[in-house]
Amino acid sequence: MATKYGGYMGRVCMVDLSTGKVCDYPWSDEERRLFIGGKTMAAKILGDNITKDTKPLSEENMLVITTGPFTGTGTPSSSRFNISTLSPQTGIITSSNCGGNFGYYLKKAGFDALIIKGKAKAPLWLEIHNNSFKFHDARELWGMNTGKTQEVLDEVIKTGNGKTRKNGKIVIGPAGENMVRYASIVSNERLAGRGGTGAVMGYKNLKAVTVSGNHEIQVHDRKKLDKLNKSWFKYLKSHPLTGDQLPRLGTAGLVSTMQMRGQLSTKNYNYGQYDDFEKVNGELLAEEFNIVNKGCLSCPIKCARTVEVNGKAVKGPELETLGLLGGGILNSDMYSILKWNYELDELGMDSISAASTLAYAMEANEKGLWDNGLAFGQTDEISQVFDDIAHRRGIGDELANGSKWLSEKYGGKEFAIHSKGLELAAYEPRRSVGLGLGYAVSNRGGCHLNGGYMVLLEGLSLNVDQQNPHGKPDFTVMFQDLMEAVSSCGQCLFTTYAFFPAPLISHPNSWYTKAFCKSVPYLGPVLRMLNTFPQVACIHIPVLFNQSIALHHITGMPVTFGSFFKAGKRGYTLERHINTRFGISRKDDSLPSRLTDEPQIKGDEKTKVPLEPMKSVYYAARGWTSDGIPKPKTLRKLNLDGLASYEDTCKRFAEEKEGE
Amino acid sequence: MSYLITDKCIGCTLCAKNCPVGAITGEVKSLHQIDPEYCVDCGLCGKLCPKEAILDDEGAQTHKIPKDQWEKPIIDVTRCVGCSLCVENCPQYCIEIQGPAFKGDINTVAAMTDSSKCISCKICMKVCPIGAVSF
Repeated sequence: MATKYGGYMGRVCMVDLSTGKVCDYPWSDEERRLFIGGKTMAAKILGDNITKDTKPLSEENMLVITTGPFTGTGTPSSSRFNISTLSPQTGIITSSNCGGNFGYYLKKAGFDALIIKGKAKAPLWLEIHNNSFKFHDARELWGMNTGKTQEVLDEVIKTGNGKTRKNGKIVIGPAGENMVRYASIVSNERLAGRGGTGAVMGYKNLKAVTVSGNHEIQVHDRKKLDKLNKSWFKYLKSHPLTGDQLPRLGTAGLVSTMQMRGQLSTKNYNYGQYDDFEKVNGELLAEEFNIVNKGCLSCPIKCARTVEVNGKAVKGPELETLGLLGGGILNSDMYSILKWNYELDELGMDSISAASTLAYAMEANEKGLWDNGLAFGQTDEISQVFDDIAHRRGIGDELANGSKWLSEKYGGKEFAIHSKGLELAAYEPRRSVGLGLGYAVSNRGGCHLNGGYMVLLEGLSLNVDQQNPHGKPDFTVMFQDLMEAVSSCGQCLFTTYAFFPAPLISHPNSWYTKAFCKSVPYLGPVLRMLNTFPQVACIHIPVLFNQSIALHHITGMPVTFGSFFKAGKRGYTLERHINTRFGISRKDDSLPSRLTDEPQIKGDEKTKVPLEPMKSVYYAARGWTSDGIPKPKTLRKLNLDGLASYEDTCKRFAEEKEGE
Repeated sequence: MSYLITDKCIGCTLCAKNCPVGAITGEVKSLHQIDPEYCVDCGLCGKLCPKEAILDDEGAQTHKIPKDQWEKPIIDVTRCVGCSLCVENCPQYCIEIQGPAFKGDINTVAAMTDSSKCISCKICMKVCPIGAVSF
C-alpha cells in the first residue's frame, strides 16, 4: 500500500477524456493527514489545478470524485462519496455529497479518488475494474433516463458466468447531457444533487462510470474500531433524532415543525407558513404513502422513503423537495410531488434548484415581468415543464439556467431566492437568522448544510431564539467546520445530529434544555476561543462525537477532537480561499433583499435576516478580513500558506474597488 | 490476495461452473486458473474441489466439505440494524433486507432469502460492522 495510514487505498487516479490516458495523481501521506479526504481533499486537488480563468464548462475543469477514510470500513452511515468541480451554476467551487454505492466500489477497486478531466469527442462511458479502464461508446445510452441507463449498464457488466458483477455507478440523465445548470449525477437512487455536477459530466461527453473491484479496505486497528462501531450503532439507534424521528418520518418529518416555527418557505418565500401543510407533510407521507424506510449502504438511520409511483416502488421526496414543490408553489397534492420527485431523479436534475427556479418564474409571471404561462397553484403542466427543462425546449431552455440568470434577464432580483447562484433549500431564513447567515456565507452558495444548519437549534430540535443574532456567527463557524470534517471522512452529516445529548431533544421543557437554549446568545465568546485555538481541545468526546476517535482507529493518525475540528476549519477556509480567486468576497455573501429587507411578519422588524452585522462577526471569528478574505496569518495557521497567492487576490480586490 | 489452483487440478470444471463471480477459467481435463482480479475469496472452489487442489488466500491448503455440512449464517435480529453491508457483499445474492414486519415498522433487518444458495463464504460475517452475523 502506498500509504502508511489505514482506511485509505493509497491511490488516486486521473483520467483524461481528451487523450484517453489514465495516470496516478500524486497524493502524499502529509496531504492525507491535513486534508483527510472527501470534499476537503477534492478542494485541494481543484485548488492545485484550476486557475481564475478556468471555466466550469471547459476541458480544464475537473470532476473530482473522492471518498473518505471511513468509506467502506463499516462505520455508521459511511458509504458517502463526494463530487467537487467548478459549478456551471455558481462559477465557483461546488461540492456535492452522494449516498450511492459508487464510493464504496471505488475503494474496492483500489482508489481513494477519481479525477476526470478533458472532454471526450463522442459520448462514452467508462468501465473501471481494479486497474483496468475501458472506454465504451455511449451513443446508444445518450438521451436515456438515469434509471434505465443503470439497468442497461447492469446488463453489460457481467462476470465470466453471465451474472451481473457487483458494481457502483454514476450516471447522468438528459438534464446533464443538455447541460442544465443544476443537473445532478446519480448513483443508484441517490443523487449528488447540487451545484450542477451533472452538467460538467455532460459537457465532458461522459454518460456514466461504473466501478468494481475486489480489494479489501484495511484499517489501522480493527478490534478497537469494531468495539467503537458496536456502541456507535447502538447510540444512533437510541437517539431520538437518528433512531426515531429520521427513520420514522424521514427528513420530511420536519415540515410540521417548520410550519409551527414559521420556517416553511411558502409561495416563493413570501410567507413562512402554508395553510395546507398537512396535505404535504412527513406524517402523511409516512402514514399513507411510505412503503418502507430505506437507507444508504452501512446506514442504521435509514431516512429515505420508498413510495409507489405508477405502480413502481421508487425513492420518496426529501424535506426540501416537499417544501419547495408543496407550499413553495402552492401545491397541496402529495402524489404530484412524489411523481415529480421521481421524474426529476430520472431526468437527473436537482429538485431544490428546479423547484425554486419554477417558483421564481411563477412570481415573475404574476408580477408581469416575464410572460411564461406559469402560475402558483397551477400544477397540471409541471411534469412537462421539467421535461422541457431537461431537454432545453421552449421556456425550459431559459429555466435551465436557474433563477439567478433569469432574474438578471427579466428582473425581480429581490425574489430570486439564491445565494451566489445556488437556490436556497426550503428553510425560511427570516425565522432562523443563524441559517440566514449560513446560506449567505456558504462556500457553494445557498446551501443549508454547507451553511452550518443552525436551524437545528433554531426550532427544529431545540428552541433557541430564532430572531436573536447574538452568538450565532460563532456557532455557525463551529458547525460548518465540524460538518466539513465529518463530510471529509466520508460519513453522512446526519450522524452529527446525535451530537446533541438525547435528553436535550426529548425533554424540551426541562430546566437544562431551557437553560442551554437561553445561554446560546452568550456562548459566542467561549466558542470564539475554540474557533481561534481549536487545537486546545486535545481530548475526544466519546459517545456524542465518535468521529475523531474512529478516524484515529481507522487511519492510525494522531487525532484529537481539536485536530479534527481544525481539519474541518482547514477544509472550509481552503474552499473559500479558492473561491476568492474567482472574485468572491463580502459582496457575494448575500441574500435576496426579500429576506434581508422585508420582514416576514408585517410590522415585526425582527423577522428578517440582520445579515451585515452577523457577517462582520462571522469574518472575525474565521480570521478573515472584513472583506471576507482569509488573512495570511489564518492561512498559515491552517497550513494553507503554500497555496495560491493571497497577495494576488488582495491586489485584484484593490484594483476592482478602485475601478468601482 | 486470491485463491490459487495447484497442479493437482484434473480439470473437472466443477469450480469454474460454480464460481459465483466467474473468476475461474480452464478447459476440461486441463489445469484451471483463478483470475486474481475477480476472485472475492469466497472459498467455494476449495469446498468443492475433489482433488483438494486449491490454496486459500493465505496460501493454506483447503479441504473438500460436503454440501450438507456447510454452515449457514445466523443473523441476530436483535442486533442487526439493516445497514445492508452483508447484502451488498453477498456473492450469491441470498441475503436481503426484509420488508417491514408491520405498517410503520422502522426496524428492518437482514435475512437469508434462500439458504440453498448460501455457500458458507462467511463474507457477511466479515463485513458486518457490529457482529450481528455468526456461523
